[in-house]
Amino acid sequence: MAAEVIVETRNLSKVYRDFWGRQKVRALKALDLEIRQGEIFGLLGPNGSGKTTTIKLLLGLLFPTSGQALVFGRDATDVSKNERLGFLPEESYLYRFLNAEETLDFYGRLFDMSAKVRKERSAALIDMVGLGWAKKRQLKEYSKGMARRIGLAQALINDPELILLDEPTSGLDPIGTREMKDLILKLKAQGKTVLMSSHLLADVQDVCDRIAILHQGELKELGRVDSLLKVRDETQIRVRGLSKAGEAEIRQVIERDHASVLTMDNPTTTLEELFLSIVRDSEARPGRRAKSDS
Amino acid sequence: MVLENTPPAFADWIGPALVFFLQAAVMLGLVALVVGYLVSAFRYGPLGGGDVTYRMLRTAIRDLLSQSPRRILALAWLAIQESLRRRVLVGFGVFLLILLFAGWFLDTRSNDPATLYLSFVLTATTYLVLLMALFLSAFSLPADIKNHTIYTIVTKPVRPSEIVLGRILGFSAIGTVLLAVMGLFSYFFVVRVLNHTHEVDVASLAPSGGESSGQSTGRTDPAQNHRHQVTLDADGHGATDVVQGHWHTVDERVENGKTTYVVGPPQDLLNARVPAYADRLLFKTRFGAADTRGISVGNEWKYRSFIEGATLASAIWTFDDITPERYPDGLPLEMTIRVFRSHKGDIEKGILGSIVLKNPRTGLSSKINTFTARDFETDQLQIPRSLTDPAGKPIDLFDDLAPDGQLEIVLQCLDDSQYFGVALPDIYLRARDASFTMNFIKSYLGIWVQMLLVTSFGVMFSTFLSGAVAMMATLAALVLGFFTQFVYGVAVGTVEGGGPIESMVRILQQQNVTTQLEPGLTRDVVQILDNVFMFFMQAMTSLLPDFRRFSDVEYVAHGFDIPWDVIGVQVVSGLGYVAAMSLIGYFFLRTREVAR
Repeated sequence: MAAEVIVETRNLSKVYRDFWGRQKVRALKALDLEIRQGEIFGLLGPNGSGKTTTIKLLLGLLFPTSGQALVFGRDATDVSKNERLGFLPEESYLYRFLNAEETLDFYGRLFDMSAKVRKERSAALIDMVGLGWAKKRQLKEYSKGMARRIGLAQALINDPELILLDEPTSGLDPIGTREMKDLILKLKAQGKTVLMSSHLLADVQDVCDRIAILHQGELKELGRVDSLLKVRDETQIRVRGLSKAGEAEIRQVIERDHASVLTMDNPTTTLEELFLSIVRDSEARPGRRAKSDS
Repeated sequence: MVLENTPPAFADWIGPALVFFLQAAVMLGLVALVVGYLVSAFRYGPLGGGDVTYRMLRTAIRDLLSQSPRRILALAWLAIQESLRRRVLVGFGVFLLILLFAGWFLDTRSNDPATLYLSFVLTATTYLVLLMALFLSAFSLPADIKNHTIYTIVTKPVRPSEIVLGRILGFSAIGTVLLAVMGLFSYFFVVRVLNHTHEVDVASLAPSGGESSGQSTGRTDPAQNHRHQVTLDADGHGATDVVQGHWHTVDERVENGKTTYVVGPPQDLLNARVPAYADRLLFKTRFGAADTRGISVGNEWKYRSFIEGATLASAIWTFDDITPERYPDGLPLEMTIRVFRSHKGDIEKGILGSIVLKNPRTGLSSKINTFTARDFETDQLQIPRSLTDPAGKPIDLFDDLAPDGQLEIVLQCLDDSQYFGVALPDIYLRARDASFTMNFIKSYLGIWVQMLLVTSFGVMFSTFLSGAVAMMATLAALVLGFFTQFVYGVAVGTVEGGGPIESMVRILQQQNVTTQLEPGLTRDVVQILDNVFMFFMQAMTSLLPDFRRFSDVEYVAHGFDIPWDVIGVQVVSGLGYVAAMSLIGYFFLRTREVAR
């Protein structure tokens, strides 16, 4: 049985107009989407492609010019949908004069939570995002990474079923990025639905089940990440410990099949992976300089 | 004290006020609905517009029914934190500075220092608190929208009405605390500054009233720019005369064969008189004919009308409920008579007047009481129970002059070609004195309501305007509110010079306000435009609060008790405005895109 549809857009369009009603930008053009329960859905696209506009329309921060945005089957402007929803904005737009505990307690009160529940949730979330050591510090003293983490904690204060993350890894260092991705996967494991937008392909590739690629407000591609990334008419061979003779034999087999060899060499890792292995190595053996193979 | 509009009793006011409130709410609601539909129909077509309008109404009702006190309080707490962060306490520092240096600028030789100091502290507090409320309320929400911090609020289950109410509540709470502290400082400032005593100038003491009376008179030394005349009886007890609105007790003490005089603290300086006003005021012309008004001495202010001296002209106040139970010591009459001189005369001397008490049914009257009236001074007369009629026959105040509780007080001016100007509240019976401290607190309630109004207007405007524009709009409402009566006068055409466009034309053409504009097309266009303006001005003045009606400074400064009826009317109408502003703010915030 197909999972329940959590987010749905029907012919959703948004046109930004100036004070006199003249059209400035057509930010979104007739977007049709369905996001089902338990999946991680990525909105992908370059800057200005309509990702943030889509999220703002789904949150009711903007009103559609035409079409419909539905969240939990309700109109996106219906405030009651927010009971089951968490949102991490692109920048952490939080009150800088509050500290971490006050921030979470305040947002908890907006969900009408009792003092006891607020205290428990705040403590657990501060622990989860690793800010226990800075919980009494005002947010204006926080680094960008710390602000993102407390931003994420506030998005989860109500234990939401749907989490909207606008550029969740922006401004984070590689460790922070990996932690964020791990956390997104953890949320999925808990059965939550995640909608994230990003222009960083690696982030989306690593965590998303399905993606939608937007460009200039139009939906260009929609589907499962694994099937979208699969190049069906190419085969890549990765082997460890192959002898020269073995390699020559494989080349003969390919030639017999009238196929052509594009490349056959040692694969490279991503920069992110390399950086992480260096950091891990450095943490395991403090004081030792990590050596590169080259 | 000038009391142009007699304050209504709360019980009489509330019914019609509620009806007006509901009428205005229905009218405004209908106008908003029509405008809302037209805008929606323009964007989404006639059917789509109807659907949007219907859904908006349905959502509004649901939102307003599902308010959460916890969320409102959380947002109020946030507003308080934000106010503290925005250095709201600087306002309090400015207030302290003003108090510290007030003595440099206030004229201590004033005839009425209590009025001067009380007006000063109350006015300073009012302006400071209103300014603070203006800045806090107008900039908060626009700053949240500009910084995008509002995103994390509106993506929670927070209703727009809760955002508006939370802010009004938070800023009002901080204003209340500031106001309370300012009130405390002001109270002690006034009491301390006005409190003083004198030394009796012993050398000036001399026997008076005959050798056998044992009475002596003298004077005190000067303190706070005034001195008193002292009268002591044979036992060495006495009092000073009334100067600058107060007097002192004086007691003689003999210690070790040495005589000293102890002058007590000022009496009657800080009062809260509870006046019993007359039921009506009627006049008699210079020929003795009855009339509802006296004569006019100029086309300036119609509050008072005048009676001519040395003629049959008189002003007659009719009091009800004059009973010995209410006034066991006789009638404590106080009057503030305006003097209009048609010739200078002896400027040092007052104008002679007379007071006669009269039974309205039988016409029986008391002997003439004469007094000297000075402009802007309150005269006090204690009328004893035992009186005599003009023939010298003893009569009783209550049994003979007011057997059924009704009594007439007839005022005449006795100096030829001079005039007395009077209004109904100018003569009253000082029924009792209320607590000055309580009266002071009541006056702060009036300021509190004004602060509440400015806050709710500021928050309402900030739901759809940017910070600076919201502040200007609130300021405009405030200024319009302070000059409501004048603007209303312009709107209904009772102020000479025409409407705003006509006035501008007159300024440009350097014409005075009384000459007629040249007939022609220009005049017609100007008048048509003015009629449109004046219609809106009239509507605005009917809807905007008249801020002067919320000010109780006059009462306290002139030593009158603020009736609870007045406070009740102020608080209830203030809350009415808060409710209206919250609702308007809700719709503006609900219908705007916060992410734009």
